[in-house]
Amino acid sequence: MEYMPAFRLHRPASVEEAVALAAGDPAVRFLAGGTDMVVNIRRGIERPTALVDLSAIPELGAIDIDSGALRIGAAVTLARLAADPRVAAVWTAVAEAAGSVAGPTHRAYGTVGGNLCLDTRCLYYNQSEWWRSSNDYCLKHRGSVCHVAPGGKQCFAVFSGDLTPGLLIHDATVDLVGPGGRRTIPLGDLYRDDGMDHLALAAGEMVAAVRVPAPPRGARSGYLKSRVRGSIDFPLAGVAALVVSSDGLATDIRVAVTGVNPRPHRIRGIDVHRGHALDDNALDAIREAVRTQAKPMKTTTVAPWYRRRVVGALARRLVARLASS
Amino acid sequence: MMDGAGPVRSIGVPTPLVDGPEKVSGKARYAADYLGHDILVGRIWRSPVAHARILAVDVTKAQALPGVVAAVTGADCDKTFGVLPVAMNEYPLARERVRYRGEPVAAIAAIDAETAQRALDLIAVEFAPLPAYFSAVDARAPGAVLLHDDKPGNVERHATYAIGDVDAGFAAADLVREETYHCAEVCQVQSEPHAALAEYDAERDELTVRCSTQVPFYVHLMLARTLDMEKSRIRVIKPHIGGGFGCRTETLAIELIAALLARKAKGRVRIVATREETFITHRGRPEQTTRLRIGLTRDGRITAVECETVQRGGAYSGYGIVTILYSGSMIFAIYDVPAARYDGYRIATNTPPPGAFRGHGTVNVRFAFESLLDRMAAELGLDPFAVRRANLLKAPTFTANDLMVNSYGLPDCLDRVEAASGWRTRKGRLGPNRGLGMACSHYVSGASKPVHWTGEPHATVNLKLDFDGSITLLTGAAEIGQGSSTVLVQCVAEVLGLDIGRIRIIAADSAVTPKDNGSYSSRVTYMVGNAAIEAANNLKAVLVKAAADRLGVRVEDVECLGESYRAGRQDEGLSFDDVVKAALADAGTITVKGNFSTIPASHGGKKYRGAAIGGTMAFAYAAQVVEVSVDPDTAEIRVEKVWVAHDCGRALNPLAVEGQVQGSVWMGMGQALSEETRYHDGLGITGNMLDYRVPTIVESPPIEVHIVEAADPHGPFGAKEAGESSLAGFLPALANAIEDAIGIRPTELPVTPDRLMALMEKRARDGRATKAS
Repeated sequence: MEYMPAFRLHRPASVEEAVALAAGDPAVRFLAGGTDMVVNIRRGIERPTALVDLSAIPELGAIDIDSGALRIGAAVTLARLAADPRVAAVWTAVAEAAGSVAGPTHRAYGTVGGNLCLDTRCLYYNQSEWWRSSNDYCLKHRGSVCHVAPGGKQCFAVFSGDLTPGLLIHDATVDLVGPGGRRTIPLGDLYRDDGMDHLALAAGEMVAAVRVPAPPRGARSGYLKSRVRGSIDFPLAGVAALVVSSDGLATDIRVAVTGVNPRPHRIRGIDVHRGHALDDNALDAIREAVRTQAKPMKTTTVAPWYRRRVVGALARRLVARLASS
Repeated sequence: MMDGAGPVRSIGVPTPLVDGPEKVSGKARYAADYLGHDILVGRIWRSPVAHARILAVDVTKAQALPGVVAAVTGADCDKTFGVLPVAMNEYPLARERVRYRGEPVAAIAAIDAETAQRALDLIAVEFAPLPAYFSAVDARAPGAVLLHDDKPGNVERHATYAIGDVDAGFAAADLVREETYHCAEVCQVQSEPHAALAEYDAERDELTVRCSTQVPFYVHLMLARTLDMEKSRIRVIKPHIGGGFGCRTETLAIELIAALLARKAKGRVRIVATREETFITHRGRPEQTTRLRIGLTRDGRITAVECETVQRGGAYSGYGIVTILYSGSMIFAIYDVPAARYDGYRIATNTPPPGAFRGHGTVNVRFAFESLLDRMAAELGLDPFAVRRANLLKAPTFTANDLMVNSYGLPDCLDRVEAASGWRTRKGRLGPNRGLGMACSHYVSGASKPVHWTGEPHATVNLKLDFDGSITLLTGAAEIGQGSSTVLVQCVAEVLGLDIGRIRIIAADSAVTPKDNGSYSSRVTYMVGNAAIEAANNLKAVLVKAAADRLGVRVEDVECLGESYRAGRQDEGLSFDDVVKAALADAGTITVKGNFSTIPASHGGKKYRGAAIGGTMAFAYAAQVVEVSVDPDTAEIRVEKVWVAHDCGRALNPLAVEGQVQGSVWMGMGQALSEETRYHDGLGITGNMLDYRVPTIVESPPIEVHIVEAADPHGPFGAKEAGESSLAGFLPALANAIEDAIGIRPTELPVTPDRLMALMEKRARDGRATKAS
């Protein structure tokens, strides 16, 4: 096991207290399940002066449904979210995504907020301190070269959270709390297309909850991911889709992806299929739209071209399934 | 007297492992579990560069840091180590040159981990870079700088033979085909990372080392050599071990470094490797490219084989010479091969050294052989089973390269998996994207000539019987999770007719137990098992003699019933305790010994240099059928089920055999589907369990094990190898099943989804091109 450096650990009882503990010191980090954070600390990627453990804050641990809208506290575990029958019945993609994260032990600890704020990943970044120093570090952390695209000035580290696309297609918003108070933004605005700085959080700001409105009547949604192993692995590509069908025609269709870009996002340009039957031509067009907008780079050991192929294949398969059922 | 109670039977009885309770309850102590306030933390400074001359190693600042007790560098040890006496070219800490990224250069012992880390950061090393080679092709290129001055062309070893008339064989063939196969490098990823605890007693100049090894005896030898100490002043203790699968069948630098630090610190030093360091230490299966050519007659008879294979051998020799020799010799001894030509090249490269991974040397060539055989069978319109049956050996026999085969259960293995899998009715009829494939494989039951040839018996077991009536079995055999302690206890219990609970085993403590070469090449059950049987027979003779004297009868009239001894059916007899009391009255505490030596006929041939490699007392055999489905959109492969039959001779512990066979198949599945090391300029990018993809339970299919018992005339109760033969067959059986499912035959492993999709898209493109033309 790698050496764990010393840090202070706080366990506040309220969101306000948590935010106050983090204010003013960028090296203070919020800690929920720690399944990703602790690994990064051991690897010297994160060097926190203090961790603010959010597990004792009641507000962050609730799943509420009010007037058909869902509110999930940031510290709700992925296992709990996956097992909630109310979520699975209405926001199926969200429950499927939560149930597909890593392995059972990760889901027992990992949280909704942690998954939404997951650091971006790259083969050249998620390595030990010895490894990264031997490789002259990288653009994302302490270095000046991108080993994925040498010569480039952009970081392609990929966002790998499974939950985000399922929430994006359901028009989720996130409640943020920080030194400047509380605000609510569309989930899509939480992310930036920059592997080095992919979260649009202000200094000391944290995600407190996700709000998901009631989906359109008759909506069906789901989540599929590609990985070499059926457990543990981060997604090589992940796709969530929502389809509303009426009389054989798609009245609404939404697709979002993760694992293929620094920023998880909704696929653009598929509204054209609204009002039409999702026949093979339409499905092929959706597949191509997804492939075009996915820009995987060599951030995993699996070939980028494969991830682009498979993200399209999964999108096509998922939309076909949702449209036919 | 328990009237009618006979001897207790242990052999053939499914028996849970005798060290299971400690392991499942968490009480078992592994090398990393020995804690104490005076144990210093050892950490290793590893080379950041792949190939360079070392100009200076400066540890003065590190040594000056409060809390640092000792620092060692290459200057502290000028002795090489290595498992083969002819190829020791590795230093515990690099001297003058580093040859791979991660090679140990210096080490620190400090009062805690934080201090040790800060000390490592203060070590300054100056390098003068040299060209580095990360593939066998680059290392062999003309003008390449030599990694080792005595290895021209960076060829660690060129193994070669020509057996029989190969050219005539090809001329006589009706079909000759050639193909090239590539297997990625794989690591064992045993559950326990490497660890060592060394204690140096400065008053007495004595050293005690507890370490995660399969070969305590070899560690003992290398400690004496590298520390320049008398062997008698060293004690090596093997604690519980979390698997090995071959990566610990040679001494590793970590054990030697811990000892060097402990001596310098005059105290106790513990080094626990991270998972990444365990990957860097490597000793897995090499990357290997095999060009294979086979000649077959119309009815499937093999007429000739030609094989050229190249292994990326890493920076140091390790077992390399043996690996490249096994790759050649084990072309034989599974089928009747009349003629074969072999050229194997082991190439030195600037990557961590591979070693003796489960199925040592045989696996990647078997993948090539069984894949090509399958393809040729299809061309000849022969069933895959039929082509294997056309080439069976008839035991007892000697192969064309003089390997001794006395027992041969492969025909039964074929019959069993053919029937169990429903092959005849299901093959080719499973619908689109689903298929069946089969293959065979084999392995030795211990190398008949050990790497350190001393002339001593291969194995020695001591039994101690004392006043308490308990029997203590003393063996140097390393229980590493494979069940060796259980099987030795069973052997002794069987001979004496006693319940295994009467027998206590102490394994692998050099101060207490007899020397043993260790746990590798599937030698323990066969060799140490035989020694245990002999020891038990010797103990039984003492007890029978004591019983005879007490009963006033002749020795030959005494019947041993385990818990009682009697002379004739009407005799009330003596209890075991009475017999023990009588025996002790004669002689005091009783210690007996059993030995085992291999017979010269098993020592392999002399037809070429290195022909002894492959020589064994007995070969074990396996056949398996694999059923797969392939997702046509994502190219994901799912292994639906595996049927495997393994000829292990007499199954001494069927429960353990089943587990070993399942483990072998499963490990082969990892190599075939998802496992591979990758390097970025020699820096391992897969040195963790996320990027190095060992299958999880989700990918693990039902593995139906059929035990075939072709008893071996020399085996302990007829037993042979059970823990390796079933591995190699999985790889080609999977490739053959993929061919059956989608008509594409992968020749490169692992068959990750991206590799398979590339093949599927190439076929689609070729198909379109064919249509267009």
